[in-house]
Amino acid sequence: MDRAQDRLALIEIVEREGHPARRVDVRAWPVTLGRALDNDIVLDDPHLAAHHAQLEPQGGAAGGAIALRVLDSRNGVRLAGRAVPAHTPLPLPAAGALLQMGTTRVRLRLPGEVLAPERQLAGHAGDTLTPTLLTGAALMGLLCAQHAVGLDPGADFSAWLPTLFGLPLAVMVWCGLWALLSQLLHHHFDFSGHLRIALPWMLGLGLLEALWPQAAAALNAPAGWQLSPALEALGAALLVHAHWRHALPKRPRAVSAAVAGLLLLGGGISVASSLRANDSPYRTPYMSTLPLPALRLAGTVPAATLVQDMAPLAARLAQRVKKAREEDRDDSDAAVED
Amino acid sequence: MQSRGLLAFPRAAPCAAAFSALMILLAGPPPAAWAAAPAARPSVEATRATTAARASTAAAGSAEAAPAGAGQRIYERSRPRLLQVRTLLKTQDSQASVGSGFLVEDGSLLVTNYHVVSQFALQPNRHRLVYVTVDGSQGALQLLAFDVVHDLALLRPADPAALTGRGAIAWRPAREALPRGARIFSLGNPLDVGFAVAEGSYNGPVERSFLETLFFGGSLSPGMSGGPALDDQGRLIGVNVAARRDGEQVSFLVPAAPVRALIERGRSARPLTTPAWPEITRQLLQHEALLTESFMAQPWRSAGHARYTIPVPQETFMRCWGRGSTQAERGLQFERGDCEMDSRIYINASLLTGYFTVRHETYDGRTLGALRFADRYSASLRNEFMGRNDRHLTAPQCAERLIEQPPRGGGGPGAAPGLPLKAVICLRAYKKLEGLHDLSVLVATLDDSQAGAQGRFDAHGVSFASAQKLAQHYLDGYAWIAPKTASR
Repeated sequence: MDRAQDRLALIEIVEREGHPARRVDVRAWPVTLGRALDNDIVLDDPHLAAHHAQLEPQGGAAGGAIALRVLDSRNGVRLAGRAVPAHTPLPLPAAGALLQMGTTRVRLRLPGEVLAPERQLAGHAGDTLTPTLLTGAALMGLLCAQHAVGLDPGADFSAWLPTLFGLPLAVMVWCGLWALLSQLLHHHFDFSGHLRIALPWMLGLGLLEALWPQAAAALNAPAGWQLSPALEALGAALLVHAHWRHALPKRPRAVSAAVAGLLLLGGGISVASSLRANDSPYRTPYMSTLPLPALRLAGTVPAATLVQDMAPLAARLAQRVKKAREEDRDDSDAAVED
Repeated sequence: MQSRGLLAFPRAAPCAAAFSALMILLAGPPPAAWAAAPAARPSVEATRATTAARASTAAAGSAEAAPAGAGQRIYERSRPRLLQVRTLLKTQDSQASVGSGFLVEDGSLLVTNYHVVSQFALQPNRHRLVYVTVDGSQGALQLLAFDVVHDLALLRPADPAALTGRGAIAWRPAREALPRGARIFSLGNPLDVGFAVAEGSYNGPVERSFLETLFFGGSLSPGMSGGPALDDQGRLIGVNVAARRDGEQVSFLVPAAPVRALIERGRSARPLTTPAWPEITRQLLQHEALLTESFMAQPWRSAGHARYTIPVPQETFMRCWGRGSTQAERGLQFERGDCEMDSRIYINASLLTGYFTVRHETYDGRTLGALRFADRYSASLRNEFMGRNDRHLTAPQCAERLIEQPPRGGGGPGAAPGLPLKAVICLRAYKKLEGLHDLSVLVATLDDSQAGAQGRFDAHGVSFASAQKLAQHYLDGYAWIAPKTASR
C-alpha cells in the first residue's frame, strides 16, 4: 500500500471544468512529462514534445523548492499565462502551480499548499428555506395586489389564472435556466441557490415599480418620475449580475464588467433612440402618474405660472427648427451636387 | 392623417364626423386615388369607349329628360374653358398628380385648387405644371398666386396667347342667391378617365364650418379637384374641392368670393419659382390670428358636470360628439365629449393644419374604490399622444405644473380653496412653417380620490403668442361649481 508520508507531491491532470482526471503521486524527484513512454508521466496530447518538461528540486538537492525545466518543444509551457523560457529552471511557488502544456493542464500540489476553507453544502442544516418562502409569498402578494387593482370589481376567477399560475411558473423557468447554467459550469443544478437570489430582487423591483412613480407624483417631481425606467433597468441588471456571480464565483470582475457593459450599451441605445424620436432622453414627454389626493404633498401655483413656462419651450423649439433647417439645407445641397 | 390618442383608455369608436373621412379630390399617387388609377389603366380603352357610348346614348336620349339636356348644354358651352392640370416630375415627365381647372379673365388666367399644385408650390425645382384641354392641346403653366386657406391657386399659361379666345367661365352674381336644392353641375376629369359632368344639387353652406364651404349634393371623384361647379346657366358657383368618403353624394365646393379675391390679388403677380413655404406661413399666420380671435371671443359652454365647469367650445364652427359608458359596465363610469373643427388646411399630402380640437372626459369611480380609480385615472392621462420628431414638426417640448384655479368670484382671504389641477402644456414647432406651433394642453382634476375630469385642447398651426393666449383661456375654463365639502 502507498503510504502518505512517502508522497512528496501530487500531480493532477486537470479537465476543462477544473476537475482532476488523473492523479499521480510523486515519490521521487525529478519527474519528467511528455508523450514518450520513458517519461514518468506519459501524457497523450499531440501538442506535446516527446520529452516536454521536467520537475526537479532546485539545486539538485532534495528538500529545496521545486523548479520547472522546459525541454525542447514547440509549444513550451505556460505558467499563469506566461511562457516559461526553455532550459532555465524556474522555481515554482511553495504552494504549487497550474501549468499549461499543449492542451493539457497539470496542477502540481506541494506539501506547503494552503487549503481553502470547507464550503457549505447547499440546502444543509442552518440554511433554511423559510426566508425564501416568505419573500416568495410577499412577491406573490404584491403582484396579486397589483393585478387586483387592474381588474374591475367582480371579475371572473379566470382573470386570476395568469397571475396565480403564470407568475410561479415564470419564476421557476427563470431560476431553472440559471440552474442549468450552473449545471453546465460546475455540475450542480443549483435551483434553490438561484431562487434565493431571484426572489428578493424581484420583490425589490416590484416595490420600486409600484412605489417610485407614486412617490414622485406626490412630491410633484417629474424629473424623479422620469428616472423610473432607468432605475428598473438598473435593478434588473443587478439581478442578472447576482445570478452570474453565483454561477461563476471565480470570475467576479469579468461578470461585473460584462453586466455593466451591457447595461451601458442598452442604456446608450435607449437614450439615443429616444433622443432621435423625442428630442429628449426620456421616453414620455410628461409625468403621467397623478398623485392620490390624500398623498399630494406638493403645493400648487396659479395657471399663469404654467403659461409663463412656455417661453423657454418656444426658445428651445426655435433652436431645433434652426438645426432642422440647417440639416435640410445640407441635404438639398447634396441633392444639387448629385 | 395621424390618429391622435384620445383622452383615456376607453377609446371611443371614431365619431361620425371624423375629418379622416374627408377626401381631397386629387388624382395621383396620394393614398387612395392611386390605388384606383392603375386598376383602371388596363381598361382605359374600354372605359373611354363606355364614356363615349354613354355620351352618345345621352345625346340620343336628350329629349326624354330636361336635366340631362342642361348638363349637355353646359358641358358644350364650358368645354373650351375646362382643363386638366397635371403636375409632372421634371426629370421623368410622368405625372405626379392630376386635377382640373378652368379659365377666367378671358382665358389669360386659370383657377384650380392649391392642393392640385401643392407639389409644385413646395418643390418647384422638381416639378412642372402642364394643362391639357378637352381637345387635347397641352402647354406649360406658371403659378402666380395661391390661397392655402381656401385651397385655391391662380395660374397662367407660359405662352400667354395659347388659351386666349377660349373665353372664361362666367360669374354668377353674388346678389342672386341660389336656392337650396337647385340643380348644379360640377365639371372635371375624374381619375384621369376623361372630362365629365357630375350633376347634383346645391345645399347651401356647410353648417358649423369656420371657412365658408358649399355643400354639393353630388358625386365628386379624385381628379375633379379645381374644376368649376356651375349653375344651370353655366355661371360659376364654386370650385370642386373635397368629398366625404363615409357618406354618399356629400361633396364640397369653395365659394366664388375667395376665388375673386385671389384673382384680384394675383392677376399681375410674378410667377413663383422658389418653394412657397414663406408665403404659406404668412397666410397661415393670418388665418390662425383670425381663428384664435374668433375662438376666444366665444364663452365656454358647460359640460354639465355637477361639481366642475369643464371648458367645452360653442358649436359655431366646431362639431361636438358625446359618448358615455353603458350602465351595465362594472368598471369606471365615464362620459366624454369630442369637439373638432371641420375646416382644416391642406399643406401637402402628409400635413393638415390650422384647426382646433377640444376633448374632455368625466370619470366616476365610486364603484371601484380609490386605488383602482387612481390606476385608471393615471392610465387615462398616460394614453395621450403628443407626437414625435417627424418630417414636418419637432418633437414636443412640455411643461407641467400642479395648478389651482381660484373659485369663481375671486379667491380672497377666507374664500374656499381653489380647484387643484395637474396641467401639461406641450408645444411642437413646424420645421418649414417658421413661427407656427402645435399646442396641446392636458388637464386633470386632483381634488377627489374617486372621481375626476380630464380634458385636452389642441391647436394646430398657431403662433407662440396665440398658443399662450389659448392655453390660458383653456385653463381658465376649469373651476369649481361646488367643492366637495360644500356638496356634502
